[in-house]
Parts: sequence; C-alpha cells; structure tokens
Amino acid sequence: MLKQLHLTRRQWLGILKWTLYALFFLFVMIVQTVILARLPIFGIKLTLVPLVLVCVCIREGPERGGVFDLLASTVWCLSGADYGNLSIVLLTFCAVLSSVLCIAVLLRSFWTGAVCCLLTMVIHEGGILLFKVLLGRIAPSNLWRVVLPGVALSMLAYPLIYLIVKLIGKTGGDHGV
Amino acid sequence: MKKLFTPKVRSVLILALLVAVAISIVSVVTPATDGGTNFIQTILSPFRSAGSALMRQAERYYNYVFNYEALQAENEALQARIMEMEDEVRSADSLQRENERLRQLAKLTQEHEDYELTSAYIVSWDASNWKSTFSIGKGTNSGIDAGMVAITEYGQVVGLVTDAGSNWATITTVLDSSLEISASVASTGYNGIVEGSYATGEEGLLRMDYLPTDSVLRNNDQVVTTGSTVYPRGLIIGYISDADFDETGVAKYAILTPAADLDDLEQVFIITAYENT
Repeated sequence: MLKQLHLTRRQWLGILKWTLYALFFLFVMIVQTVILARLPIFGIKLTLVPLVLVCVCIREGPERGGVFDLLASTVWCLSGADYGNLSIVLLTFCAVLSSVLCIAVLLRSFWTGAVCCLLTMVIHEGGILLFKVLLGRIAPSNLWRVVLPGVALSMLAYPLIYLIVKLIGKTGGDHGV
Repeated sequence: MKKLFTPKVRSVLILALLVAVAISIVSVVTPATDGGTNFIQTILSPFRSAGSALMRQAERYYNYVFNYEALQAENEALQARIMEMEDEVRSADSLQRENERLRQLAKLTQEHEDYELTSAYIVSWDASNWKSTFSIGKGTNSGIDAGMVAITEYGQVVGLVTDAGSNWATITTVLDSSLEISASVASTGYNGIVEGSYATGEEGLLRMDYLPTDSVLRNNDQVVTTGSTVYPRGLIIGYISDADFDETGVAKYAILTPAADLDDLEQVFIITAYENT
C-alpha cells in the first residue's frame, strides 16, 4: 500500500500525525461549541481552541505549525466564531511568536508552553474585547469580570491538551523541532 | 531570533493577515452567507448534531439516575419494579417531553392557523462570551431561511434566523444586543423597542427603550411583538421586572425577563410563513 502511493514510512507517519492534529482540533472545536458553550462555568464560556493551536505550533515549529494554525484558525473563523477574522491574525501571530520564542530564548517545556498559551489567550480574548469596547458594545470592566477569569478557567485544560498534542507529535516519529 | 523568521514564516504571517482582510471584505460586501462559511458549516453540522444528541442522551441518563436514587431512598419496596421499567422509563421520558412540546405546538397552531412551523433541535451554541447565538441542525433544505423567527412551543420569541445553509442555520437570540424588536406592553399598549443586553453586563435580561414618559409600567406586565414584516404580531417576548427613566430623561425604559427559558432550550420552532395582517 505504501509502495503504491510512493510514500516512505516517515512520510506516512507524518500524514497520520497531521491528520490526528486536525481531528483533535475539530474535536476540541465541537466540544467547545456543543458542550462548553452550553454549560458556562460561573457564567463564563471557556475557550480551548487557542490552547490547541499554540501547543501544536510550539511542538511543530513556526513554519509547519504556522501553516496549520493559519488553516485551523480560518476554519474556526468560517465556523461562525465571534470576530473570527481577528482570531485568524491574533492566533496565527501569537502561536508563531510563541514557537519562535521557545526555540530562540526559552526551553520547549510544559511550563514555557503554559506561559505562551496564557499570553496568547490574554491577547486573543483581550483583543476581541478591545474591538468590542472600541465599537461601544461592551464596557472595559469586562476585562477582569469576564476575560481574565475565562482565561484562568480555560487554562485548567492546558495540561490535558499539552499531553494529547505531545502524544500526537510523537506519532509522527519525530519529537518536534 | 531574526533567523527564525524565515521567508516561509513571514509568508504565513502575511497570508494570515490577507485571509483575515479578505474574509472581512467578503462579509461586508456580500450580505448573504459566503461560500467558505457555508462549506465549513455544512460539513460541521452533522458532527455538531451527533455531539448534541450525545449530550442530550448523557443529560437524560444523569437525570434518570438522579431520579432513580431519590425514588430508591423513598421506597425500597418498589426497587424491583423500577428496575424492570428502567428501559421503558428512559425512552418514555424523551417521548413524553417531545409529546408535550408537540401538544403545546398544536395549541399554538390552532390559535394561529396562518403559521407554518418547522421544528429543529439545537446542535451548538456560540463559544463567545459576547454573543448569544446558537445553531440548529436544519437549514434551507427544510425551508428555513435568514429573517425567520424562532419561537418555543408556547409562542415565546427565541430569536431570529440570521444565517442559513443547506443543513444548518444560525439563530441570534433575543438576548443578543444586535437584535432589536418592535414591541408593546400587552395590557396598556405602550410601544417601544426591545433589545438584548447580553454583552452589557446584564446577561439574561432584555431592555425595552423609548417608552413614553407618562407610561405606567407594572411588574410582570407582558411585552409582545407589535407585528412587522419579520415578527408576527402577539408573540411573547418577556415580562417587565423593572422600569426607570432613561439616560436622556425624556423617555422611560423597562427591564424585561425573557419569556423563553433559553438555558433549558433543546428544540425550537421556526415560523417559515405567516399572514402579515
């Protein structure tokens, strides 16, 4: 089968890995819209999609991870996300920057990933809030009333997402960049 | 660090910016659903429906177990019988709820013979904290289109269909601040505009503006739609829970509790056609 497709074992594992990343992203997206959006915790809806994108980008590097993030955030936008076009820019930029920082300055570990995810979440959710505040739709006080508690609660899912992304990454035969 | 921003990485970042700008322009220029959104939503809709059905099933099991434990504590003698009826109760529970909804709906259609209704289950909710919208698992294939009103089986306004594809539709609820409905107080006839306050810190409540200064507003007064090309006349929007003068001092506003219980909503009914008299 592999010979017929002219794929090496390494290429085959690479395809499997990216398929699993895509399926995991879709799964998280559906969990977020079907379950978490229906059951807000303390009145706040959790956001897990940015965590998946940052974890994948840190693991796979700014080039391949960046392309994945661009495609995934575009799907997220087209699925009807609030200010999804802003999400494309913010999530891709933050994830790529996180990946670059992890390679250049920081170690690529659980804790550096957590810090990058936290910053991405604050920038992403804060960016959308800022946009809404500028349009006069909501009050800036929502930053500490909704955004920051929402980010803190969403970060509780980080260890699980980190672990799953790490396991998928190892499926590809390599250990990231 | 500079070396890490390779031409490929820079291309990805520029592409992200271009895609975002392109999507923004398309959404502004074309009021109808763009092809990309329709494609993604059409693909996601069956997965969302499946996820939603699983969640409903899990909720039913949870409720069943909870009720069962309470019964067991109350009367142990009935335990054996309850075990025998376990399966029947499980399936009957969902059928009974659906039956009740359809019975109410039949009453509604008797009162409003001109309504053509299509029922649909909610498959997903918007993940944003600033928006109150949800998706249903039916769309243009079932005659649902943007601009149609979603109601409960009791004739309470749920929201408006704002986007529709072949097998999906997005409904913006009355709680969303983007929706404005021409309404009147049923008992007195005062007219005003009702809008949601979802993003303004008063989640779960509605605000009725532009009421006359001399209007007398009582708690629990029913507020209904006045009738327009979009909303049929007489649909219940909510009940007055508070009132005061607005910021300008030349008009009054009322705070309303929505009539529809959006937290426990499973199924909605879309008015696909009605006589606009």
